[in-house]
Amino acid sequence: MPITGLGPHGERATPANRLKLSSEDQQLAQDRRFSVAIVLHTARSDWSNQQMAGIVGTLGDCAAVVTEVVDCGFDAPTQIAALERLGRAPVDAIISVPVANATVAEAHRQVARASIKLILHDNVPTGLLPGSDYTSLVSADNFGLGLIAAELLAAHIPPGREIVLLAYGEDFYATNEREIAFGRWMLVNRPDIKVRTVRFAGLDTAGEAALTAARAHPGIAGMFVVWDTPAIGAIAALEASGFGIPVTTVDLGNDAAVLLSQGRQIVGIAAQQPYWQGVAVAEATILAMLGRIIPSWVALPGLAVTRQNVAEMYQTVWRAQAPRDIIDALK
Amino acid sequence: MTDSQATDQPERLRQKGRPRNSDAAARSLTAILNLVRTWRANTRQELERESELGRAIVSDRLATLADLGLVDESELGEASGGRAPRLVQFKAERARIVVATLDQTALGVGLADLSGRLLTEHHEELDLSAPAEATVARLGTLFDWLLGKDASPAPLWGIGISAPGPVQLPPGDDFLAGSPSFLPAWENHPFIEQLTVRFRAPAWIRSSVETMAVGELHASGGAGASDMLFVKVGKRIGASAICDGRLYRGAQGAAGLIGQLPVTSGARTAPLDLMAGSDMIAREGRAAAEAGASPVLADILARIGAITAIDVGQAAQMGDAVSMEVMSRSGHLIGHVVAALANMLNPSIIVLSGSIAQTNDILLAAVRETVYGESHPLVTRDLKISASRMGSSAGLAGAAKVVSEALFDPDLMREWITHGAPTAMPRFRATLAQIDALLSGSGRAERPAPPPSANAHSDRPS
Repeated sequence: MPITGLGPHGERATPANRLKLSSEDQQLAQDRRFSVAIVLHTARSDWSNQQMAGIVGTLGDCAAVVTEVVDCGFDAPTQIAALERLGRAPVDAIISVPVANATVAEAHRQVARASIKLILHDNVPTGLLPGSDYTSLVSADNFGLGLIAAELLAAHIPPGREIVLLAYGEDFYATNEREIAFGRWMLVNRPDIKVRTVRFAGLDTAGEAALTAARAHPGIAGMFVVWDTPAIGAIAALEASGFGIPVTTVDLGNDAAVLLSQGRQIVGIAAQQPYWQGVAVAEATILAMLGRIIPSWVALPGLAVTRQNVAEMYQTVWRAQAPRDIIDALK
Repeated sequence: MTDSQATDQPERLRQKGRPRNSDAAARSLTAILNLVRTWRANTRQELERESELGRAIVSDRLATLADLGLVDESELGEASGGRAPRLVQFKAERARIVVATLDQTALGVGLADLSGRLLTEHHEELDLSAPAEATVARLGTLFDWLLGKDASPAPLWGIGISAPGPVQLPPGDDFLAGSPSFLPAWENHPFIEQLTVRFRAPAWIRSSVETMAVGELHASGGAGASDMLFVKVGKRIGASAICDGRLYRGAQGAAGLIGQLPVTSGARTAPLDLMAGSDMIAREGRAAAEAGASPVLADILARIGAITAIDVGQAAQMGDAVSMEVMSRSGHLIGHVVAALANMLNPSIIVLSGSIAQTNDILLAAVRETVYGESHPLVTRDLKISASRMGSSAGLAGAAKVVSEALFDPDLMREWITHGAPTAMPRFRATLAQIDALLSGSGRAERPAPPPSANAHSDRPS
């Protein structure tokens, strides 16, 4: 599947297979026994767990030790403090998922100034430049994910109806791209559908935001939520108040996959490949620590998941068998 | 904040006995703000010294600028013996600027503060051969998105556009009242008028090589340099020069069209665009794939059915011999032309941009080799040649800087400062009304007359 989006500085994507480690690279890395710290926006999501599996396993193959994993809990001050501390720590590289935009930019910039390789995953604060402020960004094709989610939802929306785009209030590259792409697809392919954008500030308010939007616009015929965790919250709030509308989202988290297989509200998911993204992040990190030139933006395509293919897509994304709940629901 | 709120400011100023719209008051306000904005003076003492104005006037003007939300004195500076002085700081967050870059294959948009610093940006694919109406509509949608996403209530004060070709403009830095000529397919399309009316803010436009050069100068590797040469390599190859810290546009705004220059490779002589641009790189790559000379490119052709210049660049980066040869030849031809410019202008830095130049070290190495080989030793003694790290962000950052500098240009600023905002300036309001009438009245695209020159209104009575 082609990459449809452009990078944070308008770059064309480089495919992840450009990062493949040769046996010589692996040997060199094993000899040098690198140490790496990981700073996550959140460690409490299926996406994070899967990408961690990809990162940690691949670094392990190269004898690079993960000395610390920080869960920032979507909190910018926590991330800034962690980066400031790790900038003085004896680590060769830091892998970070920036939790915000301008607020955390300077803290990330200081990492590169401390001669530590900085690999970004999923987000780049505006103003940071590849080469000087960070080494590389690895992400999903977030624009493509928004297009997939729009197409999946549009199939369930009657002509001339309204839908809600439940967007993240933070200025975050990945969710911005999904939001823009979703709107663009609708404008081009289903101009009859009116898209109302509603923003939520954090995970704990997503359900309330969805419910407020549904009550204010009782005629809405569907909803797109920019990732799965808030989507689960939104669906719970909507169901509890008797709103049963089709929903699409991004990321094949376990709960979202189960709802999709049960045919309960979620009608489609644009899935990232977090495990393989994690592998690409680790490969980029190893190559950067070896002093190799690596592209500024590496992207992996998204996958369209429906009830029809959720079991096999679960295997593709999770690298594991689909749970019993899903298999039973599909019978 | 809305336009109407912005227009409330003059009333407030008059009630407080602040300076009326006299030219003298406007001049001192302008001078003081620009000293603060450009970091030439950041305490009251420094302002008195640099502006050569008395303490009472400086104090009064700072109070006015604080009322307008343009300066802030809440922080303390470093003490040098006695009490720490209050820092006078420019409030760049007072208003917003939206910017866009139009390229042959991509559209970028950004939101910036009044210092020209990008706050957020987005890039997506675009087919510039699509009807202008569709592209302008897309631009409007994305500007709406940027402004809607912005958590700040700051009003919009300016629009900056980076165009894909040379732009013919009247002299000076005045805002546009009509769409200049820059692309044959967009001829007579009133896109500047449409954006101005839709967003109720003045607009400026420059060519992409110009905005990218300004962006590189202020926001990236060129920072601190006063003489810079910027070269963009794509389907077309263009250059832009910064001389003594200022963009050199030429008599018609057409400076830097180096893609037209003839170069020779083997027995063939043709313009640089044709001999070294991305079309040539893609064509040579495809020929190599079809001839079986490059397994890497043959594989891409078999899987995707096409070869792009970026594919060739990536193959070269992976060590594909044919691709390396193609990139190297292109780099030497570009380097030959750039060497001539370097000998003429003696820049301290040359920045190569465009997706091919940025992703390919072989092309950069070939340009370096040729420029260093063909230039006078004095020219290359401290010369730095590097690839852009900003990519298309340079165009956005540069467009924002162009608008920021134009808004605070002393001539224009003297017109709006006593009205509180450029959007409240009578001449802009008149232009807006004129465009409004033309677009809605006739229902067809006609351009209004250009605005009267800024200088003609600098002594406008209140």
